Amino acid sequence: MASSGNKNINAKLVLLGDVATGKSSLVLRFVKGQFVEFQESTIGAAFFSQTVAVNDATVKFEIWDTAGQERYHSLAPMYYRGAAAAIIVYDITNQASFDRAKKWVQELQAQGNPNMVMALAGNKSDLLDARKVAAEEAQTYAQENGLFFMETSAKTATNVNDVFYEIAKRLPRLQQAPNPSGMVLVDRPADRATGASCCS
Amino acid sequence: MYGGGSSGTQSKRDMAIEYQAQIPILRPSIHARRANMTVKFQDLYGFTVEGNVDDVNVLNDVREKVREQGKVWWELECSKGPNWYLEDSHVFSSFMNGITLKRLIRKGIPPNLRPTVWFSLSGAAKKKSTVPDSYYRDLTSAVEDKITPATKQIDHDLPRTFPGHSWLDTPEGHAALRRVLVGYSFRDSDVGYCQGLNYVAALLLLVMKTEEDAFWMLAVLLENVLVNDCYTSNLSGCHVEQRVFKDLLTKKCPRIAAHLEAMDFDVSLVCTEWFLCLYSKSLPSETTMRIWDVLFYEGAKVLFNVALAVFKMNEEELLRAHHVGDVINVIQRTTHHLFDPDELLTVAFEKLGFMITTNISKQRKKQEPAVMAELDQRVRRLNSLNGDDKQ
Repeated sequence: MASSGNKNINAKLVLLGDVATGKSSLVLRFVKGQFVEFQESTIGAAFFSQTVAVNDATVKFEIWDTAGQERYHSLAPMYYRGAAAAIIVYDITNQASFDRAKKWVQELQAQGNPNMVMALAGNKSDLLDARKVAAEEAQTYAQENGLFFMETSAKTATNVNDVFYEIAKRLPRLQQAPNPSGMVLVDRPADRATGASCCS
Repeated sequence: MYGGGSSGTQSKRDMAIEYQAQIPILRPSIHARRANMTVKFQDLYGFTVEGNVDDVNVLNDVREKVREQGKVWWELECSKGPNWYLEDSHVFSSFMNGITLKRLIRKGIPPNLRPTVWFSLSGAAKKKSTVPDSYYRDLTSAVEDKITPATKQIDHDLPRTFPGHSWLDTPEGHAALRRVLVGYSFRDSDVGYCQGLNYVAALLLLVMKTEEDAFWMLAVLLENVLVNDCYTSNLSGCHVEQRVFKDLLTKKCPRIAAHLEAMDFDVSLVCTEWFLCLYSKSLPSETTMRIWDVLFYEGAKVLFNVALAVFKMNEEELLRAHHVGDVINVIQRTTHHLFDPDELLTVAFEKLGFMITTNISKQRKKQEPAVMAELDQRVRRLNSLNGDDKQ
């Protein structure tokens, strides 16, 4: 609202997770507001961009939606290198996909950017009857590992925009730390060169 | 499509007529022409394509050229006899035929001849001839009810392979694609099933006359045409190809390579899908088929030529791009609207200087150890993480 503090930030975001957890569907829902039952399987990775406004800034997400099949994981470093944020996706109806998500968290913690904002998304929350992973379990795991957690449904759109919005808010350059709900302090001393572009 | 046991004994004349009829002239509606709106139409292989009126005009021109090429092939067949392109059958003139053929193939194999020409020139026919006639039938029936990680993944991907396609996305299409992919996963358990092959096999099914021929094309592709290990456990072959390609880009398009590197843009971000799906997911199908025409005759380096051409064709625009998103947009806009294969292939084979296959093979050999070391290191690092976890 306050135009004085306007910032435009580009943030690279990567989606990781087991095959068929709904990574592409989450992105499609967020970027285009659509859902299709049979989403083309992603090969390598697909790129999307979408902009969200939070507080005094505009965050343009550059999203890499990666392929889920195990053998594609050897390509992952190329996509998470330099990423400001990651969404690790599992399918709440599939325990193995949750185990796989934990491995991604480990890998990112060991090799990614230490300031990376990480979200754990338990997708397909509309399929409650088939649930295999308890929300509490995931919540606890997320807390212990410094991630924030949400259950999402790309199909019903539940929490999808929220995940991205929450990430945007938590990006280091936007954080109004240490008291997020308190007074707004515009943090702009470190306006790095990357954010200084004026033309598209 | 594969229901009837239709034999391939049509006369040449019938095929020529059928072929004339199978390429319709596209006529965008008058409203679309006036408003320059998006036009939707089905292409030769049954894909719904969205383009503008310019795209349709380009496509009509291309089809006219394809028709002309059809006549050239037809005349050659009349003068040299059927299957003249099989070098062995014309020992004396094989060298001349080779030169003619290379040029001809780069101009496009007429769609009606494509299945036979691919089958012979790729080596699929030869491969098939080394096993009993019943091989494919026996294989598919033996593995029909087996369940493996590969078959589970295949079943999952069937409806996710070109969803909405008029034949592929039907129970019949799914069943044919399944048999080919499952069959292959048992033929080569190192490959098993790798996502990406679904798109490749699907296009093969659309082109080849029988499902069995599509299977053999897939086999020859993975076993002879492409480099080894493109699709196996850690895609090491694909990693090698990416490195070789980066070197080529630096040599052939140094300004682009330098600019992208300065932006910290890794070209593998866009090339991985191209090399694994052989462009089937990125380009209009008729353009993809033209690339495959050359791929099956000249080999895997063709994938590099085409990738370089896509970059080269957009040199100025790419040099103006300063964000990852801009680069991707330039590339995607180009590939989605690449309805003129001649433009692409001219750049690919005439504007980039020589690319000698043996040099590329040397480069591959050179990159292999580095790739293996890198992949190995990652696995070890991940294993040590898991080890920490257990303590």
